[in-house]
Amino acid sequence: MEEATIKLVNVNKHYGHGRGLVYALQDINFSAHPGELTLILGPSGSGKSTFLTIAGGLRQPSSGRVMLAGKDISKLNNKERDQLRLNRVGFVLQSYNLLPYLNVDEQFELVRKVKPNGNLTDDELTELLEELGIADLRSQYPDQLSGGQNQRVAIARALYTNPDIVLADEPTAALDSARVVVVGKELQRLADQRHKTVIVVTHDLRLKEHADRIYHINDGKLSREK
Amino acid sequence: MFLALKEIKHEKLRYSLVIGMIVLIAYLILMLLGLMQGLGNENTAAVESWGTKQVMLDKNANVSMNQSLIKKDEAQDLTKHEALVGQVPIVMKGINHGQKQSMQYFGLDDSQYLLKNKIQLVSGRKPRNDHELILDESLKEKGYRLGQQVKLNSLTTKFKVVGFAKNAKFNIAPLAIGSLNTWQALKGTGPQFVASGIWADQKVSNSRQNKLAHYDVKKFIKKLPGYTAQNTTFEFMIGFLLMISLIVIAIFLYILTMQKEAQYAVLRAQGIPAGFIVWSIIAQSVILMVSGVIVATLLAVGTSLAMPSTVPFMIIWPQTMLLDLALLIVGIVGSLLPVRMILKIDPVDALQ
Repeated sequence: MEEATIKLVNVNKHYGHGRGLVYALQDINFSAHPGELTLILGPSGSGKSTFLTIAGGLRQPSSGRVMLAGKDISKLNNKERDQLRLNRVGFVLQSYNLLPYLNVDEQFELVRKVKPNGNLTDDELTELLEELGIADLRSQYPDQLSGGQNQRVAIARALYTNPDIVLADEPTAALDSARVVVVGKELQRLADQRHKTVIVVTHDLRLKEHADRIYHINDGKLSREK
Repeated sequence: MFLALKEIKHEKLRYSLVIGMIVLIAYLILMLLGLMQGLGNENTAAVESWGTKQVMLDKNANVSMNQSLIKKDEAQDLTKHEALVGQVPIVMKGINHGQKQSMQYFGLDDSQYLLKNKIQLVSGRKPRNDHELILDESLKEKGYRLGQQVKLNSLTTKFKVVGFAKNAKFNIAPLAIGSLNTWQALKGTGPQFVASGIWADQKVSNSRQNKLAHYDVKKFIKKLPGYTAQNTTFEFMIGFLLMISLIVIAIFLYILTMQKEAQYAVLRAQGIPAGFIVWSIIAQSVILMVSGVIVATLLAVGTSLAMPSTVPFMIIWPQTMLLDLALLIVGIVGSLLPVRMILKIDPVDALQ
């Protein structure tokens, strides 16, 4: 098995002090590898989002170590963490992460303004958009797209920087079952064919059939199902 | 700049309203500036357009032309850069129509530089005797014509209008320019007084005309009755309006940024540097301010062209451009308030 691109070692995260102390994550040991789709399942308030923010380098753990793309994030400053996320991590968020005043093409142009090199080529982008079935929507604005189309644009945008790691937060929220299957297959294909490390946090059990590994998170504790 | 332009282009109505607000504020400030400059010009048009550098008055006149009277022996032989000026406020009345006009009368000597070289005639000619006058061109709009007979104060003599001159205004009143003899009659002084003061178009050393007080033209203008109070009032109004603009623009940009906080959190989560977003906000502010100020300036110019010349409104470009620049700076400073918010955005919010 290839070396893990995300590794959490004895990670704890707590908020507040004294009587108000809340443990969001407790003694988490986790690793994710290229070519795998990992599903983190859990109800609201279980610590899913905290897990994703720590795994994605958005937040520091209270204790423990987080290795992201081979780098210990506790040793990086804010700017270096920004660079790491921009270059190595693609986020697919529940809110589709698209700017409402940019059309599909301009969503990619924005990324190019910030990161001019190392992105997908025009041909690769066209191929990706065709794979996702949104190649003919390039001049459309988010409010002209359906929820499923928006989510696929968000996936394309996350992949445009050619990241090693794709982190998805509730990517199927508000999608009907047919669209859940489409998005699930896309995420699975990212792992299988594009060799990305894909981690999805969700409470949507319909995604289980697409996952290579499944974890459950409850009260901040992680347990493996598959 | 990319995000700023794209957003403005996409959200046309929202940003048109913001630009509209900036236009109204900038237009109001520019109109006030125009009025300030117009009134200032009516105070000083004659002094400045005639290239006056120094004014010499009676030492006891407290820098007031109106209070100054100089005797024959106080005025030494004048050089070609010095001229006697006799000033007195008057009321002029046309013979053929009863409209009374409050004015300033300037008595000048036709052999001295002011009447010889500085009066800018727009029609007619210069006076050849004591019964002829030149009027400020603004009086044409009030029905005065070349050849018209007028009366001054309670003098029984009739005066003939023989010319109209531009920039013939002093202390917010149009000028009637005639002879020093007529000035003596209007002022009611004896022949021992030759004028109110001496004006010079270059610096005069203190050893010359040493029986008179010498004033730099800037000090003379500042001491014109009401001039400083009027300018200070306008300056305060413009200053306060600039401060109000700063607050209004900052609040608008703050609210607009607050509405987009979630979008910025997403961008931050994706690794887009805060600096990129900050520059977008500043660029947006610059675009909005430049657009608003350009439209407001064009409106002010249009208004000045449409206004009757009786309204004291004037656009002096260096000051106007300076005010436009100040508005632009106010906009940029206003955009720094939301910048603080951007720097505080936690990318984690994107996942909440």
